[in-house]
Parts: sequence; structure tokens; C-alpha cells
Amino acid sequence: MCRIGAIKSKKYLHPSIALKLMRSQQKGHDNSGFAFVMQDLGGIFAAHKDLPTLSMAATVEGTRKAEDILHNLGFTRVLQWTPEINHQKGLKIEPMPNYIFETFQYPKSHKYATQEEKEELLVDTALLLRKELDEDNSGFMYSFWPDVLTLKEIGSPKDIGTYFGLWDENEELCAKVITAQCRQNTNYDIVRYAAHPFFLEGYTILANGENTFFEKNRDYQQSLYKAYIGFESDSQCFLYTLHYVNKILNWPLKYYKHTITPLPYEEIEKREDKDVLLRIKASLSHLEINGPNTILGVLPDGKLMCVCDSKKLRPVVVGRTDETVIMTSEVTGINDVLPDRDTSLDIYPNEKETIIVNDDLTVERWMQ
Amino acid sequence: MKNETVKIQTLTDNKRMSTQELLQLINSKIDEGYTDFDIEACGQHNIGGSSWACDKISSLNFKITNPGQRVGAMALPHTNIYVEGSAPADVGWLNSGATIVVNGDCGDTAAHCAAGGKIYVSGRVGTRSGALMKHDPKFELPEFWVLKNTGSFSFEFMGGGIGVICGWDCEGYESVLGSRSCVGMVGGTIYVRGNILNVADCVKIENLDDNDIEFLKNGLKDFLNKINHNDLYDKLINFEEWKKIIPLPSNVKEKRITASEFRKNNWIEGGIFGDFIHDDFKVFPMPAVGEGRVRIPKWNSENCIDCKVCLNNCPNSAIVENNKLYSACDDKCIGCGICAAVCPKKCWEMISNRCEIS
Amino acid sequence: MDAVKINQLHLDDLPWIIEYDESKCIQCGKCSAVCSFGAIKPVIENRRIHSNGLQKPSFNKVLVIKQQISLENYCRGCGMCSRVCPNGAIKAVRNFNDKYSVRYRAAKADSFKKGGRSNLNTEGRTLDKIKVGRISQMTDPSLDAARHQFELRTPFGRILSADKLNLHNENGEMKLSNQLPPNRWIYPVIMGDMSIGAVSWRMWEAMAIATAYLNEVMGLPVRMCTGEGGIPVRLLKSKYVKYMILQIASGHFGWNRIIQAMPDMTEDPAGILIKIGQGAKPGDGGLLMASKVAKYVQEIRGVPRADLLSPPTHQGLYSIEESVQKMFLSMNAAFNFKVPVAIKVAASVTSVSVYNNLLRDPYNIVGGFFIDGLAAGTGAAHEISLNHTGHPITSKLRDCYLAAVHQGRQGEIPLFAGGGLGQTGSFAADAFKLICLGANGVFTGRMLLEIAGCIGNDTGKCNACNSGLCPAGIATQDLCLTKRLDIDAVAQNIVNYFIATDIELKKLMGPVGNSTLPIGRSDALITVDKHVANRLDIQYVC
Repeated sequence: MCRIGAIKSKKYLHPSIALKLMRSQQKGHDNSGFAFVMQDLGGIFAAHKDLPTLSMAATVEGTRKAEDILHNLGFTRVLQWTPEINHQKGLKIEPMPNYIFETFQYPKSHKYATQEEKEELLVDTALLLRKELDEDNSGFMYSFWPDVLTLKEIGSPKDIGTYFGLWDENEELCAKVITAQCRQNTNYDIVRYAAHPFFLEGYTILANGENTFFEKNRDYQQSLYKAYIGFESDSQCFLYTLHYVNKILNWPLKYYKHTITPLPYEEIEKREDKDVLLRIKASLSHLEINGPNTILGVLPDGKLMCVCDSKKLRPVVVGRTDETVIMTSEVTGINDVLPDRDTSLDIYPNEKETIIVNDDLTVERWMQ
Repeated sequence: MKNETVKIQTLTDNKRMSTQELLQLINSKIDEGYTDFDIEACGQHNIGGSSWACDKISSLNFKITNPGQRVGAMALPHTNIYVEGSAPADVGWLNSGATIVVNGDCGDTAAHCAAGGKIYVSGRVGTRSGALMKHDPKFELPEFWVLKNTGSFSFEFMGGGIGVICGWDCEGYESVLGSRSCVGMVGGTIYVRGNILNVADCVKIENLDDNDIEFLKNGLKDFLNKINHNDLYDKLINFEEWKKIIPLPSNVKEKRITASEFRKNNWIEGGIFGDFIHDDFKVFPMPAVGEGRVRIPKWNSENCIDCKVCLNNCPNSAIVENNKLYSACDDKCIGCGICAAVCPKKCWEMISNRCEIS
Repeated sequence: MDAVKINQLHLDDLPWIIEYDESKCIQCGKCSAVCSFGAIKPVIENRRIHSNGLQKPSFNKVLVIKQQISLENYCRGCGMCSRVCPNGAIKAVRNFNDKYSVRYRAAKADSFKKGGRSNLNTEGRTLDKIKVGRISQMTDPSLDAARHQFELRTPFGRILSADKLNLHNENGEMKLSNQLPPNRWIYPVIMGDMSIGAVSWRMWEAMAIATAYLNEVMGLPVRMCTGEGGIPVRLLKSKYVKYMILQIASGHFGWNRIIQAMPDMTEDPAGILIKIGQGAKPGDGGLLMASKVAKYVQEIRGVPRADLLSPPTHQGLYSIEESVQKMFLSMNAAFNFKVPVAIKVAASVTSVSVYNNLLRDPYNIVGGFFIDGLAAGTGAAHEISLNHTGHPITSKLRDCYLAAVHQGRQGEIPLFAGGGLGQTGSFAADAFKLICLGANGVFTGRMLLEIAGCIGNDTGKCNACNSGLCPAGIATQDLCLTKRLDIDAVAQNIVNYFIATDIELKKLMGPVGNSTLPIGRSDALITVDKHVANRLDIQYVC
């Protein structure tokens, strides 16, 4: 079972906190990789929060290809950050030749574009980059979005941390929201794209457990939106459904839970909103997940979210201080990084809850 | 026997001791005669569990911070485990006699399969806690004491032992046992203080009797003492607030009405075809007499020679003669046609009795 | 002397031969008494008494049971005689030299008709080549079929895609903006679809009672389709009509009374099913032989006693578009657009085109698509239709589902599959596999006949539903035969079978780790047949 973690803080945090959070939770396969998504960036990225940052790992050829594509589209680079690689011997990591974290100015054609138009351009560009890189297997495009940075790598999390120098805190690389997992999908061939967290247009998702309705979800999602692609992991379905319900349908967040884990008919029948809930249950029946899963998410406005499936609960704990809220699979991780918190405020979400962490770190608990 | 406490730190710089390294270190210390341990853990599993040494040792004592899953798993009697702070899943898994105190919360499936010893929790316990607890009559009853509440699906498939959920600080909770608890419970007793919502239908909820109260009075003292909350004793002993949950006997089967009763009592009176058909809903046997016959014999006097072959051969003695007139009694004749077959003068004819109901 | 001519019908021409053991017979007459076909009779036969040859031979007269050699009163192999024989002296044995259907056609210059099911099973059963092979083993936990909560409900009615629901946001609560097509959440097995007339009143009422019982006592929302033979007004006006799906077929039989009863109905029916065709005899209309058109059937249907033919097509419907426009609109309007209206077609090479069209219907008024495969049953059909026309259900259902996936509209018009389900014993297994292949639910009539005590089978036993002489009292209108049927036992057996099926469906959902119906979850299925794997797009295993 995957261990997952999501951190939100009032101050900028270095990704070493994610490594420390996940360290004590290590299980069998939790050493197979390390991936994180940082949002609401500080450090050197703080100056360009409204401009898209490309996170990519590629061969030399792939790097050139991507840069050409972006150049041809009119994007101009305003910032480049390269991790200082520690080439120490014996590290368990399968590195790519290049890691690209670059921030771009929008093309001139989009100078006066609306937010929607800009987002459309970023999505299309990301899809194009991915397609081109896939063609000759020359790299991996993880995210191309403002204020977001993604890294996914195969190997031991500790060693990946060492390789990228992530154990040493510095002010260059930090963010207020960090989501992380210390595992690759080991069920099938190990593919970088299959590692959580998954990111799309401001939405980030991590999950654990098998999605037993993966095929149903995928079959339905494939025709819903152009960016619902890949499906290297069955958990990508959770992301796409969140994006679909919240962004494309523009329904309030609480309907995400009603979509992925709809209440049984008998329970809905007793509710005042039964008409709407039954319609949603019927119309989106192919997006039901049927568990067992726990899903952690980050929303475009920077809120954290957690939902559990109603069938067989996977554990998750929320621990908090005035400055930081952490949601993760096991309390041990929180004990390590927030040892002095008031544990009576810890939350063990139940199968009907949606937990929301607001920007001011207040926590809301919604019953389905 | 060595008196000093073994202190173990499992994290140095960024290097974390693995579970295997830690457990092997503990066992080697026990072999050396140490009995007291103070462990600063970092999520390592099974601490305090499945460790025992020679008869010379009277008890093993662990004080642990930040353990991983299955703290006190498979622990034997005379093991005492004290966890400072919260612990993740499977606290006291397969506990076989240890006393485990968690001064904090437990993750899911606490006391899972515990069949001995006592587990005391000063906070909450997660989903499916108390699942599959059981009691081997040759050993002490396992006990599982929780000051606050459990998550959903607690005490699933419980087979024995005692769970006590004190519901402290849970005012306003819909259920201190979470939702859908006790599914598949076949044995044991759970004492609960506070609201209970939708437990499985294989259990019943009762008020406490004197024995229950006696048990709780004594047990609560020990429990509160272990978790340093003697102050709560008076607040928890209003036994009006408590209930006990025990499984229904497995031979109690829900009795449903029969379809026949349903037709007679609930269904449309006179049947849905009552406007056309007057059916008494009696069932004809095979073969049937009277109107249940497919064919009926008809006697024709013209050629009859009064030989009585028909009368003698009728398997049901249905044929009667009256003044040389023959007929078949409707209440005996099944319409087999033997009379028609044996009559030398073909006086009997089988005619169809097929007709519709009216 | 009785000479025999070669063209005369002979015992060896008949499909079944009565084996009779004179030495065991006690001449109780039960066998001949119960034979509804009049296929056996007691007769006197001569037996020569063995002599020393010095006297003239003499004969003994003995009473024996003898089979009739007749195109009408021929043995159907139903076996009632052996059921009632106290000594096992008599039984019907299949005649492999059977030429009956040839003799019948040659003698009568008419098409040979029968009831029951196809007896020419050349296809083999695809469903039996499929197993549920994706069992939760560590990747995720299985569920305990007896203890966990399962929801066996499926939507019935037109489902709109989420973006067309037209919900609006009122302070964070989504609300309905306008009236949407009616939806019902029903049990995934629909029973019935057999008309009053095709089956006896006791059989029909037993199904209705079982339906009501399953709903009211067991809480299983099972729906029953009425078949096209009208509905008794007493049922229409009762609260139980809410469990009934009213059928309209090309004959429109019984609708006059339904319409007359509408003002007095206190509940809406569960749905309406427009029957275009049926799997057992696709392209053929309904057929109720005159012998079954009893007086009450005449009244309910509004016709005299005669062979009742529903035309092969609805008069006045010429195309899919028009069907949608006219028929669906009328039936939707009949209950003020509050009752789902579905369509039942025989599985056909063209089913996918129909389904594609209905999915694209801009008025969204088609609430269900029922596909009936060739192993379905019928009360009466021409043998040529029953044995030689039709389309298996499995690939057709799958094709329709995948067509919906291709349009991105799976689930919008719920798919229901039927036709020979439960043929090899386990109805739940067939239902589950079809659900995994994309069905929202299944329907069955023939399984109910089996449950009620039908003694026929797929290899020619009995299959005399058309004759009106059903020895089990199921497919007859005769008083003496119908009253053999125990209405309470039939209702109870149907109830019990559904309860068992419910348990068994859960026994399949548990291991695949699903608490709700795995509609379209074909990854749960495997097959040892490469062609089946390829055709259905499921995993081939060996």
C-alpha cells in the first residue's frame, strides 16, 4: 500500500520535510521511488508566480526538442533552475540525463489573453510536449503550469534525496504546499508517469489502494476531456474525476465525494437533496471508484483535500500546528516533523468525510 | 539480569534503523539479560512483540515513542509496553498476554485478533479496531479499553474477549463506535458509553446487569490508573449511560412470512383475476378426480350387455350400476379410460374434460 | 386383417417412444389419466396362449397401456406418466429416428409450430466459456459476501450526461433546473415479460405475487414486465402496479383496459416496455394459439377466440426516428413523462445501429434498451423461426455497450440483456458476466418457467407451450391443468430463487472487491476461448 503525504504551511518549506515525513512510514515497496509536487513556490521561483514553469526530465535530445517546441510557440525563458547533482557512488537511483525546471513568459500572442485562454495554451502545449517526447522516448513532461514544480524519480528516496541535494535545506527551493510519495507503481513495469502525485491544471492528487473500477473510469474519462490521457496508474482516474467535477462541470467540491463514492440508494432516499444526488449517481456512475482508497489532493486555490472511500477505509491522519497542516498515511510521519503539536487535534477521517484545509489552515470536515 | 534500561535511538543523521535491525538489537539485549527498554523509534514495526527470554526474567518492559505499526504484536504475558504519544495501525495485533498502554491515539485495527492481555488507550482508536478479537478458554480473557471512541467497522468478526469504549469527550458524536460496527460478531462483549449508530444486525444491545457493573467498576480503576486519568472515574461510573453489545445466538434465524401468507394477508383480495375467475387456489393432485380429470368416461346404454367388466376392472371402484344403468362416480374416477378399453361392447367413451374456469 | 401401408404414420416416426413394462404394471390407470396430450391409452391386446400344437391356438386378452400414433395426440416426452406410475413401469424415451416434423409438414401443408425454446443448439454457450478471473488477492481486499454491504440496484430510465443535467448552484448546493427524464433504481434482474394468455392465470399471478413479496418483504426492488396480454384492472388500481413494467407490443393487446383504468390508478407503473421483437422468434410477431384464448383472455385483450397474431412490426412505425418520435412520445405522454419508457428488440446484426440512434436521440426519451438473445423462450412460434433465426446475446450486448463507450455515452440508455440466461443452471453467474460486459441488468421469463416447475428442456422435451396442454399448468388455460399449479408454491419458489440469486450475485461481487454492480467491468472476466476473448475484448487465458 502506498504511503502518501500532503503538507500545507504558512511559511515556505523545503522539500526535505517531505522526505522526513515519509521516512518513518517506509514499507516494502516504499523504497522504489520518490516523487513530489511543490505548489505556491517560494525561493527563486517566487518572483514569477504567474508564469508557467516546466518540470521535465529528458535526454539531451528530448531537452532540445522541448525547447524548440516552446520557442516555436513563442514562449521565452525567464528563469532556469538546475539541481546540484551529487554524483556520489552507490546511490540507488536511475537518473535521467537532464532535469529541467524552467519558467517561461507567455508568447506575445497571449499578452492580452484571458486566464482561460492562457490555461488552454498551457494544456495544449503540455500535451504536445508529452506527445513529442513519447514519440522517441526522449523524456518525461511532468507539469507545465504557473507556480508548480514536479520531480519524479526511480530509486531509493533517501538516495534520490542525496542525489538532488534535497536533504539540505536551502532557501532556493521551497513551497507552501508539498505533496509527496516514496514509491513507484510496482504492480507493473516501473514507469515514471505512474508515480504519484499526479498533476493537471492546478489539481494534484495522491492516492493509495487499488482502483477496482479503473477500467470503467478510464473508458468513460477518455472521451470527457483531451488531457485525460496516460492512465499509467489507476489512480490518475481520481485526478481526472476531480478535475471534471470541480473544473469542467464547475460543481462545488463536495460533489466530488458524491461522484466517486455515491451513497447507497437507501441513504440518498432519506435526504433532502435526494433528487440531485440520484441524478449525479446515475449520470456519473462510471466515475464511481468502489475503493478501497484514500485520496489526498491539492486544489488550484491551494486548499488541501482528503477523502476516503466508503467501502474499506485506508488509514490517513491529519496533524496540525498553527503554522502547518499535514495529511499522511501514518501518524509516525507527523510525529517526526510536527512532534510538538497538540495530538488531541489530530483527525482520523472517516469513510463519509471530506477534509478541507483552507488557506488560513483552518480545517473543515464535511460529512457526505 | 541487568538492571539498567537500554536506550535505543533509531535515527542518526538521516539514517534510520530498519525494523529488522532494531528488533534484532532488542533481542540480543534480552539475551544479554536486559529487561527494560527505552526506544525512540521512527516508525519501526513490531516493537515489544514476540520477544521472550528465559525463566529467570520476570517481566519485559518497553517505553516507546513514535513506533510504527504492530507495536506489541504477538506479545506474551509479563510484557509491559508503554507508548508515549500516538501509534499507527495494528496496536497489539495478536496480543497474547501483554499489557499495552498507549498514551495517545491508535490507528486502524487496534487490538486486531488480540486473544490475551490488556490494551489500554487514552485516546481514540481507528477503523476496524477490535476486529477478530477472540478468547481461548485456557487463557485469560483479552481486554481492550479505549477512553474515547473507535472508527467505523469496529469489532468486525469479534469472537471473544471484552471491549470497553468509554466515550469520554465524545458528546455530540452520532456514534462512539463509528458506523457499521460488529459486522460478523459471534462472541465476546463490548461495553459502550455514548451513542451507537447502525451496528450490524447480528448483535443485540442491552442494559448492564450487576456483574457487568462490577466488572466495569474494577476495570475502570485499573484502566484510568494506567493512563493517568483517575480523575475521570466518577464521571464514567454513571452506568445508566452504558450499554453492552453481545452477539445474537447464531441459531436465531429471521422468520419471514410465506408467500402463501403474503397472498392471503397482503395481496389483492380475491386475486387480481377476481373479476373474471373464481379460483379457490386449491391444487389438483395427479391424477385428480372430479373436475381435475383431463378426460371423463361417458356411458352409452345401447349396446350394454351388463357384463360388469368395466365395473370389475375399474382401478378406483368408481363405476356403479343402478338398475342396469352405469355411471362413474366423479369423486372416485380419475379418467384413466380403462373402462372404455375393457368394455367388449364399447359402451364407454372418454370425452375431454378440458374447460376454462369461470 | 389390419395391413400397414408404408406412408402411414408409424411409431418410429414420432419423437418419443413410450417404453412400457407390462410385468410391472398394476393397471391403476394413473398414467393415462394424467397424460394431457392423450398420447397413451389403455387398450386390450391379444396374447397367444402357448399350446402343445394339438389344439387350435387360443388368445388371452390383456389390458395394456399403448402409445397413440397420431400427428395430434403424440407423445411430447413430458414424462408425467412415469412421474405418477407407482412401479416405474412406463417412461418416454427419445426416438433418434424421429421424422415427426417431416411427417407433419407433409401431411398438413402447414408450418410446424411449437413452443418453449430452440431445440437446435448449434452455438454452444459463450457465457459458459467465461469465468470471473480477476479475483482480489492482495492488490485490494475482497469483500465478505455475507457481511459487507452491497448495493444491487441499477438505474432504469434515460440518464443524461452530467453536463446536460443542467444543475445550477444555489449557495453551494446543486439544484435541478428543469424536469429531467424519469429514472428509477431497480434490481438488476427484471422478471416476466410473459403475457396473460401465454401463461395461465395462476402462473401470471404467482409472478406478480412474488414480485410484490420481493419488494415488500425482502426489500429487493425487483420489477416484473407484464408481457403483451393486458393487465387485470384489479392490479392496475392496486399499489402493486408500481412494481410492474407495462408492455406494449405490435398487437397493443389489453391497452384499452389500461387506458380506461388510468384515471383510477393511484400509483404510476414502474415503466413501459415497447416490444419490437423477441429473441426466440425475431422478426416474427406474437402468436397465441386459439386453444389458449380463454374467455377471460378474450375480455382482457378485446378479441374473440382465434389464433392471435401480433404483427411482426408495429403498424405505423417505419423507422427508428419515427419510432422514437411517435411511440416513445406517446408512451411517455401516457403517464405525463413520469414513467421510464424502454424498448425491447430481438438481438440482431442491426442492434448496434438501433442503439447508436437511440443514444443520439435529441429528445432523450428512450429509457432503456432491452436486447433479447436467441436462447429465449416463447409460448408459440413456427419451428423454423425458433430453431433457425436469432442472434446470441453475449456479443450483441457487448457490441452495444462498446458502441456507447465509443460515443462516450455508456450508461445513458441502460442496457438490459436476456435470452437463455440460467440455461446451464446458474442464473446469477450469467447475469454477473453480462453486467461485467456492460449490461445494467438482465431480464428473464424462461427462468421463471423453470422455477415454476416446467418440465421441458432445450433438447425437445415437452416444448408444447403452444398446444395449450401444458402438463405443468403453466402455459395453458385449461382448468384441469392450470389447477395442477400451486400458486403459493410457485410464488414461494420464485421468491426463494431470487433470494438465492441475490446471495450468489454478492458471492461474485465480493471476490472482485465491488460493493456496487460492476457494470462494464470486463477486466473481471477471462476466457479460455481465443475467439471469445477477441470478440468480446476480454482477457484470453489458458
